[in-house]
Amino acid sequence: MATEVQRPAGEGKDDLLRTVDEKDLKPVHVWPNLVSIELIGALTITLLLSLMAIFVAAPFYRMADPELTPNPSKAPWYFLGLQELLLHMHPALAGVVVPTAVLVLLGAIPYIDRSKKGTGIWFYSKKGVPIAVFSAIYTTIWNVGLILVDEYLPAGGANGIAPWLKMHGFPDAFAEIFVPIAFMTFIPFSLWTIVKRRWQADMRECMIAMYSFFLASFIVLTIIGTAFRGEGMALSWPWDIPYPPHGKE
Amino acid sequence: MSRLWRYITSSRLWKSIYRNPYPRDKRSRAMVILNSLALHLHPVRVPKRATRITYTWGLGGLATWCFVLLTLTGVFLMWYYIPTTQDAYWTIVQLQTEVTFGAFLRNLHRWAAHAMVLAVLAHMTRVFYTGAYKPPRDFNWVIGVALLLVTCLLSFSGYLLPWDQLAYWAIAVGMEMGGATPFIGKQVRMALLGGFEIGQQTLIRWYTLHVIFLPLACILLMATHFWRVRKDGNISTPVYEDDDEETLRAVEARRQQLAE
Repeated sequence: MATEVQRPAGEGKDDLLRTVDEKDLKPVHVWPNLVSIELIGALTITLLLSLMAIFVAAPFYRMADPELTPNPSKAPWYFLGLQELLLHMHPALAGVVVPTAVLVLLGAIPYIDRSKKGTGIWFYSKKGVPIAVFSAIYTTIWNVGLILVDEYLPAGGANGIAPWLKMHGFPDAFAEIFVPIAFMTFIPFSLWTIVKRRWQADMRECMIAMYSFFLASFIVLTIIGTAFRGEGMALSWPWDIPYPPHGKE
Repeated sequence: MSRLWRYITSSRLWKSIYRNPYPRDKRSRAMVILNSLALHLHPVRVPKRATRITYTWGLGGLATWCFVLLTLTGVFLMWYYIPTTQDAYWTIVQLQTEVTFGAFLRNLHRWAAHAMVLAVLAHMTRVFYTGAYKPPRDFNWVIGVALLLVTCLLSFSGYLLPWDQLAYWAIAVGMEMGGATPFIGKQVRMALLGGFEIGQQTLIRWYTLHVIFLPLACILLMATHFWRVRKDGNISTPVYEDDDEETLRAVEARRQQLAE
């Protein structure tokens, strides 16, 4: 039930979702209201993981053999986004600079978006969800598009943007470092500009766009790295990827 | 039966452990939180919305619980595992085929590790989209980012230990990345491998990181993280700092009224 403290419709300074629900204000005892939920949560996850442990065996292949490189050779899933980046730019950039920058920028979020406005409210305002959805779609299109171009752009014997640039006389550093950095800054920057113009977004809404950019990139790159990279890390359909990879079984 | 129960619960031993009776009224429900170490992580009372599943999805709690499961199953695995390149693989084979519940507990350890990485990522996403990183919780968000890194490192360092093809070549990929560090790539590679190639030195380094250093780092960060959740005003609730005085007073008055 909404109470008398709810601001009458139309009188708000902006369209923040500011309904104060009476049920929300009422304090309840942690015991038993919260601890019971926590107990159920812990039991549920234990049960689900136990069932999985009973029915799905953890992967275990033949003994490590430095002479026998599996094809494809992959890191665990949470690093496959980075391994995917490794295919498109200088290894120092993909393996070290980008993850470090991501962690630093993630940590910096509360120091860029300082306002307390919107604390505790899912997606902040009416614009929050549309901005998040738009950002995710925008990012996905860029990611998938760039990966396809980098895979299939013919450049003499090889394929890809960097070989194409090198073929046209650009130096290695330009093709492998400068151009990827330019793309990686242009996509969030253009997104920020679009969100600002289209939705008159404030700082928190721009931050929602930036986090959605990070999240969508992570998910898209991880999925492509996991399910769409086969032998020689070439793009393939999931059903064409040898499992277990050659040299592992 | 009830007499036996009464005998147990009125014994000195029981009373020295549980300072108050089973919480059934307001006072004892407050006391059970104040008097218990684990429950002391919580305040006595929280706003109703904090208990709503759709607000938090309990993700931080699930990540913590995964850590507990991983510690328990991890200790079990340590009883059988020998971190040498000759023995590591065969101790896993033995664990899976000869030890009671060996395969089950190894599987559980593996799946809980993946679940923990997922839970931590999801928890961060929940905190972000609910704006729960805003001051005064800003520094706790930074600790959370550190916990994400430690969680990934914990999972990754465990990856090498079975010494099978999956382990060896996943680490080889990781070393390729670490070795690409600008300016100090060679030194980073050397530090992570303990030599020029993946071998006994690497295994013992990663084993030590996995079973001692990273769990301790994780516990320290978690303790700080939870403590700060309390200090920063518990679970995030909407603030009305930009509201006019009248609304603020009305909210506060109603809050008081409901609390009574």
